[in-house]
Amino acid sequence: MLEVSRPKELIEAFTNDKATAAITALPLYKQQASKPQFNEFLNIISFIETTLGTDWRTGLGKLTGAGITLAVCPEDTVLLIIDAEDDQMLERFHEFFFNIARSEAEKKGKYNIVASKEYDGVTAWTFDGKEAHTIIGKRLVLSNRPEGLKAVLQRRSQAKNESLAANATYQAAKRTVGPDAIANAFVNLKPLIGLPQVAQLFEQQHENPLAALAFAGIFEAARNSNWLALGLHIEDSTLSFRASVDGKTATQTSSAAFALPKKPDEGALPNLTVPRQIAALSLYRDLHQFYAAKDDLFPERTSGLIFFENMMGIFFSGRDLTEEVLAETEPEIRLVMAEQQYDPAIGTTQIKLPAFAVILRLDHPEQFNEVAEEAWQKALGLINFTRGQQALQGLIIDRYVHAGTKYSMAYFSTSGIDSKNNLELRFNIRPALAMPGEYLILSSTDGLARDLINSLNQEMEHKVKPLAGSNSLVEIGTAQLTSILKANRDTLVRGDMVKKGRTQEEAEAGIDMLITVVRLVDRAKLSLGTHEGLTRGRLEIKLNLQ
Amino acid sequence: MSYTRRDFLKAALGASTMLSLASPAPNILLRAASTGAARRDERDTVLVVVQLSGGNDGLNTVVPYADDEYARNRPTLRLQPKDVHKINSYLGFHPRMEAFSRLYKEGHLSILHGVGYPNSDRSHDVAMRHWHTAKPEDPDCQTGWLGQAADSVWHTNQKDTPAVFVGPIVQPFGLRAEHVIIPSIQSPDDLTIDPAPGESQPRQAVELSRADRDNPLLNHLRDCTAIARANSRRIEAVAGASANKAEYPAFRLAETLHTVARLIRADVGIRIFFTELGGGGIGGFDNHANQLGNHCSLLHHLSESIAAFINDLKRDKALNRVLLMTFSEFGRTVKENGRHGTGHGAAAPVFLAGGKLKSGLVGSHPSLTDLDNGAMKFHTDFRRVYATVLDRWLGFDSRIVLDKQFELLDILNV
Amino acid sequence: MAGQTEKPPDPRWAWAAYEPDADRPWNLARAGHLYRRAAFGANWDQLQQALADGPQRTIDMLLQPQGDIAGFNRTYDEYEAATGSVDQLRAWWLRRMIQTPHPLQEKMTLFWHSHFATNAEKVKNARLMQQHVRLLRSQALGSFQVLLEGISQDLAVLIWLGAEASRKAQPNENLARALMETFTLGPDHCTEDDIRDASRAFTGWFVLRNKLRYISREHDENEKQILGRKGNFARDDVTRIILEQPATSRRLVRKLYRWLISETGQPGEALISPLAESFGTDYDVQKLVETMLRSNLFFSAAAYRRRIKSPAEFAIGIVEALEETVSTTQLANDLANLGQNLYNPPTVKGWAGGQHWINSTAIVARQNLASALLRGSGPYGNKLNPWAVAQRHGCATPEDARRFLLDLFLQGSIDPDVYDALPKTARRQDDDLGGRARYLAQAIVTFPEFHLA
Repeated sequence: MLEVSRPKELIEAFTNDKATAAITALPLYKQQASKPQFNEFLNIISFIETTLGTDWRTGLGKLTGAGITLAVCPEDTVLLIIDAEDDQMLERFHEFFFNIARSEAEKKGKYNIVASKEYDGVTAWTFDGKEAHTIIGKRLVLSNRPEGLKAVLQRRSQAKNESLAANATYQAAKRTVGPDAIANAFVNLKPLIGLPQVAQLFEQQHENPLAALAFAGIFEAARNSNWLALGLHIEDSTLSFRASVDGKTATQTSSAAFALPKKPDEGALPNLTVPRQIAALSLYRDLHQFYAAKDDLFPERTSGLIFFENMMGIFFSGRDLTEEVLAETEPEIRLVMAEQQYDPAIGTTQIKLPAFAVILRLDHPEQFNEVAEEAWQKALGLINFTRGQQALQGLIIDRYVHAGTKYSMAYFSTSGIDSKNNLELRFNIRPALAMPGEYLILSSTDGLARDLINSLNQEMEHKVKPLAGSNSLVEIGTAQLTSILKANRDTLVRGDMVKKGRTQEEAEAGIDMLITVVRLVDRAKLSLGTHEGLTRGRLEIKLNLQ
Repeated sequence: MSYTRRDFLKAALGASTMLSLASPAPNILLRAASTGAARRDERDTVLVVVQLSGGNDGLNTVVPYADDEYARNRPTLRLQPKDVHKINSYLGFHPRMEAFSRLYKEGHLSILHGVGYPNSDRSHDVAMRHWHTAKPEDPDCQTGWLGQAADSVWHTNQKDTPAVFVGPIVQPFGLRAEHVIIPSIQSPDDLTIDPAPGESQPRQAVELSRADRDNPLLNHLRDCTAIARANSRRIEAVAGASANKAEYPAFRLAETLHTVARLIRADVGIRIFFTELGGGGIGGFDNHANQLGNHCSLLHHLSESIAAFINDLKRDKALNRVLLMTFSEFGRTVKENGRHGTGHGAAAPVFLAGGKLKSGLVGSHPSLTDLDNGAMKFHTDFRRVYATVLDRWLGFDSRIVLDKQFELLDILNV
Repeated sequence: MAGQTEKPPDPRWAWAAYEPDADRPWNLARAGHLYRRAAFGANWDQLQQALADGPQRTIDMLLQPQGDIAGFNRTYDEYEAATGSVDQLRAWWLRRMIQTPHPLQEKMTLFWHSHFATNAEKVKNARLMQQHVRLLRSQALGSFQVLLEGISQDLAVLIWLGAEASRKAQPNENLARALMETFTLGPDHCTEDDIRDASRAFTGWFVLRNKLRYISREHDENEKQILGRKGNFARDDVTRIILEQPATSRRLVRKLYRWLISETGQPGEALISPLAESFGTDYDVQKLVETMLRSNLFFSAAAYRRRIKSPAEFAIGIVEALEETVSTTQLANDLANLGQNLYNPPTVKGWAGGQHWINSTAIVARQNLASALLRGSGPYGNKLNPWAVAQRHGCATPEDARRFLLDLFLQGSIDPDVYDALPKTARRQDDDLGGRARYLAQAIVTFPEFHLA
């Protein structure tokens, strides 16, 4: 169920000058505007404006100003309720469409489609035999099925306060997402969880350890919840969605406890920043606890998991993975993804992958540093050996010092290659391991490792405090994302052509559209955590309307 | 239902066969029809193969718990006598294989000891390829043993699909055939006809043009279409039937075997089902490290799933038609390595499950002291197992599939 | 109608050019037949154009189409070179089959792909597989001699056959065996000794780090005896000797007969000889294909509907008729389920074809693919729209559409009484013409007749 309590603010946000300028500048808009149907559409709008006696923005505001509510009910029934500020305008609006519908029906030769019926003191209309609507005072109630409308009218006649709005649970839910939200959505979770697609999502988590790690707690909370509430707030050009569910979050004894901060002031650390950053993720996950519970979390023993354990056993010289390796990590985990810079002397790849890195915090860095370094070098050795067996080039290992931290990295040499600007995919990978202070950086490129060393050094100067109560935080800088999409545009276009059977022009238009839409967003931030025992989420999207 | 699939086929084909024989059919058709004699008889027994990927540690599956050598070589991986499910005074099942122990006592499980082959390979790809082609001497062999079996019984009037792979991974090489198309499916729905666009049910058959007695291709198509429709309806009926009350545990292999059971019940002419546990590739059984926890999970999955499958078939009185066989690309070393795991070995046990098994234990347990480079030595060539299954159970001709006649084993009650 | 049951046709009549007459008019059925064999099917405009142009001119246009074919192929070669995976190569090839201005070339490339079957699974290198198929395409309607020589040096073929190394002390028989037993003469026309000596002629050739290298000290310089010839033969000599054998051209002509004319029954020696002799002199594939396509035999009942469409022909036939391009990444996967995984023929003998394409599960898979293509939603989206196509060609009522779609897909192969048996309404709303047309189209393409080429 979706309720827009302050439609005018919403309309204002999307139709003010800045927004209008941005929308009309879109290539898609220009494309549509050049079509003859668009002029027809504009003519209809001005005709409506004349009929209603106002410009379309004010008219829309008056027609919907007191609120819009949309509800999805069982048996594919949709209800739309619009509360107008001006009931006379609503009447005129309705009459206008009534006349159009009737003349359309006459043209098709179907006279009975537009009909009306009296029901308990109100008139119910239908314009095409399928939908049904009625006007009660300043309120327009519309349903896609006559049965839906009947149900609403029946309840109205039975009890004066028929609306869901009076329901206490609903009010409580609304409060959790902020009483000053412009729009609210309320989702009854129990029926939703019963759907097969949703059940499949839960299954995935059961089988995939990474999914279980990433989405920890969310599924538990959702499964125990009755409702999900979403609120929308708008400030300047920032859209902010707040969500909460009423299910009790995982307690310290449940299997998802590894994602719960143990003490009230613990939580995920703030994200790190590096140049050309695309996205950053900060998690609070106790890996030791997670892997110790693997029989509960992901019972399927897939070959991937066994291979992983075998390799870890080799790299860590027989140390027990759960008790002697993962126990050495602290729960604050961070990931960073950034665009790579290519050195023309070394070479540029055809497909430009971003660089990504994982940053862990260690419990006993002095002892564990060497263990980690050894495991790392063993892994590289194994890769080189296997590649050698298939007559493929291997990685060369090197160690450097940067800002006081010794790090080791490995790279594929390009010295034997003549054409250095269309290199294969593998040249995107120059793995590096660095351990500044109590942190461990595992990066796909040495460049990102160096940037992270700088970033961590800065952070260590000012003692960093965790974000209390939060267990997951994602930040995406879409400006950079746009940059990497543009760099790979040709590959994306070609992929789109075969994946959807489109022509080159259609695919280019599609990808360009994607890039434009991505560019509209300046940055996005998603954070999840617990607050007063409830699981809360917050998504902030800052729009880029220039 | 007393009107079996075979009766239906005879009725359906009877008409067209008469037509094609009445007209002076070209020699090629007659010759092709008689090549169907690679099949020895008209049985409809079913073989279910379960591949255990990664190299199963037989020593910790069927455990010589009383043997001192076992204790000496496996200080941390050793399974205690009090925990195993005893078979006799020397051997017992892994503690989490209570389901297998039950099956064994009921006479529905056989253990073939020491199965392997001479100069066996110990790398995953090569060894698994050998078990799939049954031709270790020919590294360039392009077909699998079951694919070749399907090829060998194909004849121009063949309308059924002889074999099917059930599972999400890439189809294993054992089913690679030269000309027969063997599908990969994940549920019985993959073999049913979808509703036509805009409908919620498959379309009713439209009566088609007269059979063209001169065009054998058209007749073949018409017959196959009719059979496909009938099969589709039967599979849907089986899926919906309330006789489907069998209880399967929530493991992927159990779900796969449930699909197999439903397809067997639907009686659509599939003789060979191939399934897999461990995820293919290097495989979940490849426990070089931390074997105790992972291996016991897998064995538990394996035994519970197969037991549920056998019980389901038993309830339906179909068990006598079914033979299930497990195999793995190699066993593992006797001595554990320093990482609480084991290395690649050679001989390993093969499990058979079904309604027509002769004896529980076949062959002696390999010696734990007379080893071949750290692994137990084999005494039964796996191709003898294949030959027995092909000749005695499926009624095919193993000599054509395996390129020579291997001595059969007396393990079945047929 | 004459069939296999009567005496074999006179070769001179069989291969003479077909001229329409009262008994065998040039009609929609024959035009459709031509397009099914020489291309992947046709759309309505192509069929109408063919009816107007007559058979020989249509064949002219199929052999030498107008338009910039070289440019088209170059563009697509670039697309293919930019991908790194065989899966994407499959998708691009299917797209090429749909969009090419020269469908006969793609059809013949598919023929050679099944003949010189090379499986990417073992080759593991998309670039090499791309080069392999480019070789096939370049000589698809060219010279078999050039093609065979190219194949004997093709890296993908050598890796697939396990012929990466052939030493003097240990000659590798895989290449020679495949060349002689599978690609040319056949097992009945060469002996083990021939294969052994041919292998010795191939010694010295190695595939090292994805390049072909000749190491002369590994080459066996002694005399070899191959197929009755004696001499110190090297690689190119072997191909020359193979091509001189009449058995080679006979076997290839038979294979092409099966691909273009009929899959039922073996043609007699007398019928094959004139073509085999001519082909044996110059190995000109285009000339051979042309003779077959133009012939009386091709347009007679002995060839009509006497082939089973491979999965690619089945699917692309539907797509071509409805004048659109669909998602070929999805199609590549679906065709693999039907038994034709492009770039991955099961063994060196290629796809067996004919009745092997059809068994009870393959029929289910074909029907489900047709439903997926025509559904209007799902992985293929709503690109294929039978009602829109019908309207474009002048249909206004459901009755018109029914007749139109039957002609478009089946070109008159259905008895009139079946017309009426087709479901007229199927619980559809009166104005959902699009949905009815989809339903009807799916019913038509699942007729057994539609699976016949």
